[in-house]
Amino acid sequence: MSRLLKNHYLFLNTMCVRFRSSRKNLGKPPGVAKTLKERLEEINFKDPKVYFKVDIGLPMPQRDKKNETIKRIEYIKKIKTNAELEKLSRNNTLPVSLDEISNEWSKTNAPLHIKKVAEYYGVFEHLFGDADFTPYIQINISYDHDSKKVPVYRGNIIKPNEAMNNPEVNFEAPEKTLWTLSLTNPDGHLNQENSEYIHWLVGNIPGGDISKGETIFNYLQPFPAKGTGYQRMVFILYQQSSEINFSSINCNSEKFDLNKRTFSTYEFYRSKEDILTPAGLAFYQTDWDNSLTNFYHDKLSMSEPIYEYDFPAPYIKPQKWFPLKEPFNLYMDKYRDEKQIAKEFLMKKLQKTHPFQKPEPPLKYPNAVPFKKSTPSWLKLEIKKERLRWGRVNDY
Amino acid sequence: MLIDRTPKGLLPKIINSNIILRCRSTSTEDSAPYAQYVFNRNPRNLEKMRIAYKPAGYHLEKPGHEFWHKLQITISKRHVTASVLHHTGMVPIQVSTAEWAIRKQLYSTLDKVAYTTIGKVLAQRCLESGISEMMNTYEAIPGSKFEALLSNILEGGVRLEEYPRYKLPNPWDIERPEKPWEHY
Repeated sequence: MSRLLKNHYLFLNTMCVRFRSSRKNLGKPPGVAKTLKERLEEINFKDPKVYFKVDIGLPMPQRDKKNETIKRIEYIKKIKTNAELEKLSRNNTLPVSLDEISNEWSKTNAPLHIKKVAEYYGVFEHLFGDADFTPYIQINISYDHDSKKVPVYRGNIIKPNEAMNNPEVNFEAPEKTLWTLSLTNPDGHLNQENSEYIHWLVGNIPGGDISKGETIFNYLQPFPAKGTGYQRMVFILYQQSSEINFSSINCNSEKFDLNKRTFSTYEFYRSKEDILTPAGLAFYQTDWDNSLTNFYHDKLSMSEPIYEYDFPAPYIKPQKWFPLKEPFNLYMDKYRDEKQIAKEFLMKKLQKTHPFQKPEPPLKYPNAVPFKKSTPSWLKLEIKKERLRWGRVNDY
Repeated sequence: MLIDRTPKGLLPKIINSNIILRCRSTSTEDSAPYAQYVFNRNPRNLEKMRIAYKPAGYHLEKPGHEFWHKLQITISKRHVTASVLHHTGMVPIQVSTAEWAIRKQLYSTLDKVAYTTIGKVLAQRCLESGISEMMNTYEAIPGSKFEALLSNILEGGVRLEEYPRYKLPNPWDIERPEKPWEHY
């Protein structure tokens, strides 16, 4: 009872008293109540004690930070006392080289920046689950297309016809070390959800020379199906602590068997956890282009899959026996079988088209063509829609 | 070490319509070697196809929240920083004069040369990360340092405007807007 007396609105409701709705009956005022943002944050809150990331990568390389900062401060002092530079800078003619910036960046900030972009693209989440790593080893990957170099960075777009042949891969590594390079596509599996295709896997690479490595899966070009949009193609470089025997998964044949190429980076890494350490990362995005039709027919010997985004169906309220104030034809059309409607439109179109004659030219002034006197208003609307090409006419 | 934390059978199968692209095959073959539905997990894909939602915010708010990516420029007493903000709060790209790679070549970190360099480097990194357009809410005075920054981003090949979202027309709607993924 005391609760009822405290809550004005609840009290009035339970006593069946008619009352005027006012702001205070609607809940807490805006300053006190939580905003949508706060509520969403509360709903989407993830406890860091449960949802933490495990670092599986290489340790951070040792740097002599103290000496570095001293050197940098000296360098800046030198710049600041350089009168020539000041003059150039004041005239806005100081030459700044972008190549040099990206060169220096790859030695300093690159690992953290690449990691951030990879998190943004959900790469770690989809390949390693709750683990991630910082790519301390920089890989330079570039495709050759029409004697032009197409480099792979972190999410740039490369078309399938540019990535037909295997890319050139370079990374700096000491001579006696062993490496594994994999190229996987976590988005393009044609049969299973949450699976990957392995496009390229080279193991036991000695000292950064890819050509001397053991090819386990030979290079398969990206083949995103039409209509599925942009897919990620992820290069991951692992450092090996010892040589690995890949004979159990070896599949180095000329023919591409997609079932054998179904892959899980998570499982692969898990089985070789003690030997492999992820060290480098690069990825690009790719979408369908017309060079793929031949690839599906010739190389994969299958018909080309074509997909379309499955939009959620529009809401249509339940049908009533006696709908009031509704135009009967439009109302009824909403509850008819879409296939029947399509058939009717198609039949109408086919009746008008003649196999040997030119199609009728469109009306020059469609709104000025008079209707017959006896035409009912609903039919006028239908004719008008057809003349102006409004609505369903466009679909069929 | 990898930890599997998903409790078995407890997690409901949810298709998040704003992240995962679920596609339906248009083929009528019975024994096709591919499934009827495929799922593209790329979280940036729907944005690229212009299907993903943008948070609407309140319509009287200015500049509002209706964007996928937005340009953010912060000027402190010593440095200029330009970054790209995603509507989820992520900042995938950040360029600052405080970075040694950029600082090294500049005389001053706040003059016009610094602003131009920030613009150029931001555009380059955006394209390298697959971001080619973002919303810009800044207005610059012509001839100013700020204008140099914005114009250099544009020259670098990044659009400072975002396309509107594609909404699927209902069958009874008058117009059929063109599908962006078929034309671009």
